[in-house]
Amino acid sequence: MTSSLAQQAAIQRTAEDTDRAFEAALREHQSMVFSVAYHFFEDHAAAEELAQEVFLELYRHWREIQSSEHLVHWLRKVASRRCIDQARRRKLRRHLSLDDAPEPFSLMPATDPLVKRYIEQLLAALAEAPRMIVILRYQEGLDPAEIAEMLEMPLATVKSHLQRSLALLRKKLAFAAPEETI
Amino acid sequence: MTDFEDQLRRALERRDPSPDFAARVLAQVSNRHKPRAQSTWFDWRPWTAAAVAASLLIAATGLDLDRRERITREQGEEARAQLIQALSITSTQLNKIHKKVQGALR
Repeated sequence: MTSSLAQQAAIQRTAEDTDRAFEAALREHQSMVFSVAYHFFEDHAAAEELAQEVFLELYRHWREIQSSEHLVHWLRKVASRRCIDQARRRKLRRHLSLDDAPEPFSLMPATDPLVKRYIEQLLAALAEAPRMIVILRYQEGLDPAEIAEMLEMPLATVKSHLQRSLALLRKKLAFAAPEETI
Repeated sequence: MTDFEDQLRRALERRDPSPDFAARVLAQVSNRHKPRAQSTWFDWRPWTAAAVAASLLIAATGLDLDRRERITREQGEEARAQLIQALSITSTQLNKIHKKVQGALR
């Protein structure tokens, strides 16, 4: 809350010191923007490049930002759309389908760091839009209505993508909670 | 939230970019987006110099044209005076010849 208020004050001072306010926003939100891109591309360098483009665009549009909430919304929106556009343009999407993904270990404890890696690999195999929907839902904690607005998609499409992606991931992951294992 | 969703959320936790990421972005901002007042001044200088040069050229051309016109006018006036003098001399001579011819006929 304190951080949010401080940022609000920083935004209000933009006329006086745009650079300082921009730097504060950059330092506060760099992990959010970078993580959206990183989980989408599963590539550190590509994620940093995209995050940098997003922040440069933010600087150009700084005067349009009206509040700290607007800033977060703007960053998520621009980052997610740029990720999808860039992946489609550059054909960065991996040619790995969920059916081709390797099977997980038969017994996989929920805390195993390998599970994280495996989930990232499975996620990278999803198509661009469903992948971003899953990221916005589980990284950013947005609800389907917010995701639909952000990606300019019908709510029903977002829900459908989400359900299908989760079903595929769950099936492939073969979750190994003790009571569910053999 | 189910175990599966919780696992997904943990796998998608935020992570930090490289430690120098913010510094690199700020450097890009100052390189790309700062107004370049000095370069604007340099852009205008050749235009200003060209305008001054063009003005001087036009003024010099105008002065030269004026001088040439004055010389031509003076030369014309001098030629006219010489022509009038020549015609006057010729007229005097013709009068003298005419008188001599008239005297001889009588």
